[in-house]
Amino acid sequence: MMKNDTMHLAGVYTKYVMKSWFQYKVDAVLRSLAVFLREATGIFVIYFTLLEFDSLNGWNIYEMLFLFSLLFVTYGILILFFTGLRDFGHTVRTGGFDRFILRPRGLLFQLIFCNADWFAAIGHGGLGIVLFIISAGKVGVQWDVVTILYYIFAIIGGVLIQGAIFLFLATLNIYLLETGSIKELFYFNAREFAGYPISIFSKGIQAVMIYVVPFAFVNYFPAQYLLRKPDMEQYPEIFMYLTPVVGVVMYLLAYGFWRFSVKYYKSSGN
Amino acid sequence: MSSFIEVKNVSKSFKVSKRAKGIPGTIANLFVPKYEEKKAVKDISFAIEQGEMVGFIGPNGAGKSTTIKMLSGILYPDSGEITVNGYVPYKQRKDYVGSIGVVFGQKSQLQWDLPVIDSFELLKAIYRIPEKMYKKNLDRFMDMLDMWEFIDRPVRQLSLGQRMRADIVAALLHSPKIVFFDEPTIGVDVVGKEKIRSFIKKLNAEDKVSMIFTTHDMQDIEKTCNRLIIIDKGSKVYDGSIQNIKEKYGTTRQVEVEFDRNYDISPMKDIMKNVDIKELNEACGRKKQFIFENTEVQIDELMNYLLQNYGVKDINVSEPEIERIIGKIYSGEV
Repeated sequence: MMKNDTMHLAGVYTKYVMKSWFQYKVDAVLRSLAVFLREATGIFVIYFTLLEFDSLNGWNIYEMLFLFSLLFVTYGILILFFTGLRDFGHTVRTGGFDRFILRPRGLLFQLIFCNADWFAAIGHGGLGIVLFIISAGKVGVQWDVVTILYYIFAIIGGVLIQGAIFLFLATLNIYLLETGSIKELFYFNAREFAGYPISIFSKGIQAVMIYVVPFAFVNYFPAQYLLRKPDMEQYPEIFMYLTPVVGVVMYLLAYGFWRFSVKYYKSSGN
Repeated sequence: MSSFIEVKNVSKSFKVSKRAKGIPGTIANLFVPKYEEKKAVKDISFAIEQGEMVGFIGPNGAGKSTTIKMLSGILYPDSGEITVNGYVPYKQRKDYVGSIGVVFGQKSQLQWDLPVIDSFELLKAIYRIPEKMYKKNLDRFMDMLDMWEFIDRPVRQLSLGQRMRADIVAALLHSPKIVFFDEPTIGVDVVGKEKIRSFIKKLNAEDKVSMIFTTHDMQDIEKTCNRLIIIDKGSKVYDGSIQNIKEKYGTTRQVEVEFDRNYDISPMKDIMKNVDIKELNEACGRKKQFIFENTEVQIDELMNYLLQNYGVKDINVSEPEIERIIGKIYSGEV
C-alpha cells in the first residue's frame, strides 16, 4: 500500500520532469547532441593518439573504448537519478531545501525524483552505448548468461559508487556554501583519470582511484573481469568481484552522513 | 486545555563565523574557525487559537523568519517547547507538514516551465490529496481568485500577481489547518494585493484556517489580521489587537487643510507652537499639513482657530498610521 503510493509519486514526478525537459523537441535533440559531441571529442583525441602508439600498457584501442563505455553508460543512468543532488548546492543556497522539508515525503526521495537531466543522460548514455557497440564484439568477450549478468551487476554497482560520491559531495553543501571546486576535483577530475587503465599511473594515484574515489571499481576492475589483461596481476583477484559490494557499502555510508547532516541543518539553519 | 499553537520560552541562537581580517586571518580561520554566538530568538512565548489571523512583524533580522521556521518544522529550537495542532513540528515532520501550508512570497514552489495546473497535479500526488477534495478545492479557489484564464499557461509567462495567486493556491490545495504567509503581496500591484487580501479574509472566515503573516506591508496586516505580534532583537515587544496598539501608542494626529489661497506659514507657526506645520506642494502651496500629539493639542481648538482666521476649502483628518507607530516601537521611542 505504502510502497504503491511512493511508486505512484515517482511516476508523477517523472511525467512532469520529462514534460518540462522535452517541451521543445528541436531544443531537446540539439542539446542532447551537444553533450554527446562534447564528450565524444575527448574520446576522438585519445583515439587518434592511440593510433600512433598501438596500445597502452597492453590495452588496444577497442579495449580502451570498452573501458570508456562503462564510464559513460553508468553516468547516463546515474544522472537520471542524481540530478537533484548535482544541483543541491543551488537548492540549499536559494532556500529550496526548506521547501522539501515542508512536504510530507522523504527528503532524499524528493531530491532524487524532483529532477533528471535528460540531455546529459542521453548524451552520456548514448555515447556509452555507441562505444559499447563499437568495442564489445572486438575485445574477445564471450557474451553468455554469466558475463551478461556480471555486466549488469557491474553497471548497478558503478552507478551506486558514483551515486555515493554525488550524495557525499551534495551533503557537504549543508556545511559549506560553495562546493563547486571540491566537486570538480573529487568527481570530474577523478573521472578523467578513470578513462585510462589505472595501471599506467603512479602508486599514489592508483591508491586514490581504488580507495578514495574508487572509480577503479566503476570501470577498470569490471573490465578486467571481462578482458583479463596481464596488468591485473598486480591487484588482488577479488577486486574484480567487489564492484556491487563497494557500491552498496559506499552508498550506505553516504546515506548515513546525509541523515546526520540533515539533523545538523535543522539545528543550525543555513 | 492547551492552545492550537503553543510556543513556550523558545530560544534559538546561531553560530556565526567571525571573520578575521587580512590574508593571514583568513588562512588561520580555515584551520581554527572562530564562531560568535548570535541570539536570533530569546525566550519567546505566545499562544494562537484555531481560526486566528495573526500578523507577525519586526524589523529585518528581528527573528521573525527564525520563529516561522521553528513553527513550520524546518529548525529545532535550542530550548523551549512548540506544539502545533498536537504535533511537535521539528520532531514529527512527515505527519505534521501535511496539515500546514507555507507561502513564500519571494520563492515560488511552482514548476517554472510547466503550466500552473501541472504544479497543482504534482502537489496532489505529493500530499496524497483525495480526488474529490482536490477537485472541490481547485474549483473553489480558481473561482475566488479569478484564475481560470491562466491555469494552462506556463508559470514563467505569468505576471507577479498571477504567480502569487497560483502560489497561494498551491499552499492550500491539501486543506491545511494553518497557513504561514511570508510576504504574500511583495511586488504585487494594488489591484492584485486587494484580490489576495480579500481571498485570505474570506478563506479564514469560511474555513476557520489559522493564518500567520510576516510582512513589511502594514496594509496587509491592517486589512486582514485582528492580532499583532511584534518582535524586535529576538524578543516579543507587543502582543495584542491592532486597535489597542493605535489607542495606546497612536497619539499623533495629522490634519490636512486646503486653504482658499496661499497663506504665509510663519504666523501660524508662531501661534501653534506644539504643532508641526508643513507646506505640501500640491495645489500651488494652498495645502498644509498639521501634525501634533493629541495629548497636547485639542483637535477642536485647532479647527476653530483655522476656520475663524482663514478661508478653508477642505479638511482631511487622518487616523494615526500604523507604520508610524511601529516605527516608533522599533526605534524605542515608546
